[in-house]
Amino acid sequence: MIEVNHERGRNSLVWMENITKKFGTICALRDINFGVQKGEVRALLGDNGAGKSTLIKILMGIHQPTVGQIYFEGRPVKIRSPKEAREIGIEAVYQDLALVNLMSISRNFFLGREVVKKVGPLKFLDLKNMESICRSSLHDIGIEIRSATERVGSLSGGERQSIAIGRGVYFGAKVLILDEPTSALSVAETRKVLSYIENARERQLATIFITHNVHHVYMVADSYTIIRQGHNVGTYSKGELSEEDIADLITGDRES
Amino acid sequence: MKASVSWLSKIRHFYSNTTIAAPVTVLIVILVLFSLFVPKFFSFRSFSGIINAATLNGALAIGIAFLMVSGEFDLSVGSNLAISAYIYGNFSVAGQPFLGLIFALVVPALLGAVNGVILVWTGIPSFIVTLGTKYFYRGMLWVITTGSMLQTVDVLPMDKIFTGRLDLLNNLISEANFRNSLFWLLGLAFIFQIILGKTKFGNHVFSVGSNPGAALGQGVNVARVKILSFAISGLMAGVAGIFLFSQFHTVRVASGDGMDLYAIAAAVVGGTLITGGSGNIWGALVGALIISTLRTGVVLLNIPFIPADNFEAIVGVTIILAAILNMYISKRK
Repeated sequence: MIEVNHERGRNSLVWMENITKKFGTICALRDINFGVQKGEVRALLGDNGAGKSTLIKILMGIHQPTVGQIYFEGRPVKIRSPKEAREIGIEAVYQDLALVNLMSISRNFFLGREVVKKVGPLKFLDLKNMESICRSSLHDIGIEIRSATERVGSLSGGERQSIAIGRGVYFGAKVLILDEPTSALSVAETRKVLSYIENARERQLATIFITHNVHHVYMVADSYTIIRQGHNVGTYSKGELSEEDIADLITGDRES
Repeated sequence: MKASVSWLSKIRHFYSNTTIAAPVTVLIVILVLFSLFVPKFFSFRSFSGIINAATLNGALAIGIAFLMVSGEFDLSVGSNLAISAYIYGNFSVAGQPFLGLIFALVVPALLGAVNGVILVWTGIPSFIVTLGTKYFYRGMLWVITTGSMLQTVDVLPMDKIFTGRLDLLNNLISEANFRNSLFWLLGLAFIFQIILGKTKFGNHVFSVGSNPGAALGQGVNVARVKILSFAISGLMAGVAGIFLFSQFHTVRVASGDGMDLYAIAAAVVGGTLITGGSGNIWGALVGALIISTLRTGVVLLNIPFIPADNFEAIVGVTIILAAILNMYISKRK
């Protein structure tokens, strides 16, 4: 088990220190320490209702912690909205909320950050440019698409995940948060998505991989943080525990 | 041989990528059928008549289609149309047509935006919000006008500009009776299709209509997009009101009642998804033309069991068939 060390934690890319979150009288998270370093894939494991999403929503600025402090690149920060999170380089990829199915790949890629060209006082979308940038930047990180004008709805789940990941990488995300990215995918597609995560790691991005199923993350994670009923069970580095051990820690069949 | 193959693939590409392919096909098919089987149908007189009869619905449908792409719809446009016609009419009769024009556009646009604000604040679905404002707006109009109808026999200064005869075209084609409103409709459809398809705002409208959660996650201001789309729907109801008074010089408190549903029908027949996220302004105009063509065809056919007054039955069938066709095409993609 990796001991909690605030000094070291604050020097990593993201450090959430002593986070407690109460909703009314219910304590969803109690004194959680969690972080991720550059070029690290950190698994955040826990059963349904353990508090994984609450913790991540705090990092995304959707919730504010009741107690605790977030450090980003060594500095204490307050993240008040998903927009602020994105501005400092935290990008979340949710399964259903990542892409707009009825829109083309390139329009999705640039949604909210459209490229425009000026015609007199008017600004129009530079669709050709958006298509070619989208295509080439996805190509750069190993994602091949048939056509940038294809609708996202006709892509497979894995292709959608990879485009959302590619978008984060292109727009300079420092932290990628992936929420159950492989849970609905076929074996072949899961492999592909894992390879993009490895690609992101090579580019020194920090990745937080949220899942309740250790099999999905065992291949790719450098370290594991396990939470159960809002408590930290512990953080372990790769190879310290078997898949079986981790599963037991998630369910509470074994104490740390 | 090769040329024909590439032609075929081009047509296939057009069909699978354009939401207006289906409505355009439907329009052509019914035009051909009516021309073949309905005496006197194939003439510029009836074609220009069809277009003139589609003017009000077309104007409403432009705004409704835009709003429907953003995932909402608006039942209050019929009331807004009447409000606009009263404003434009009263100012014009009083000799202030320009002021009337401005207010007849701004007031409906603001009332449209109010729909959006209520929706965003309360989270009540647009069906309920605009069902409420539909009655409220018309009720307020009744109170303000005390229920009296507005009519004038004078020629108004701006009549020619909006709904005057389009002599440029009419002189070229004998029997034709096109009006200037055709120009305005085409221009407005062009502008709103550009906004929808080629601007940042239009991109946000599509995203909000298809997946508001994802749009929000990418930093799109969902509330602003919805309110502005409602304002556009109101604005186009204002345009329709100006056309109405300009052409007929009469408006009643009940004018435009039920036209909201016709406009939604035109948008749906024109390929706009009722669930949002997909649609085309030109398609909405084509949808209005399809409905108008059916009406003219039915009138000319003189079928005993479908009198002209009962052509609603045919509109109903068309809406359902169009929805089935749209679903079939979008599934094949």
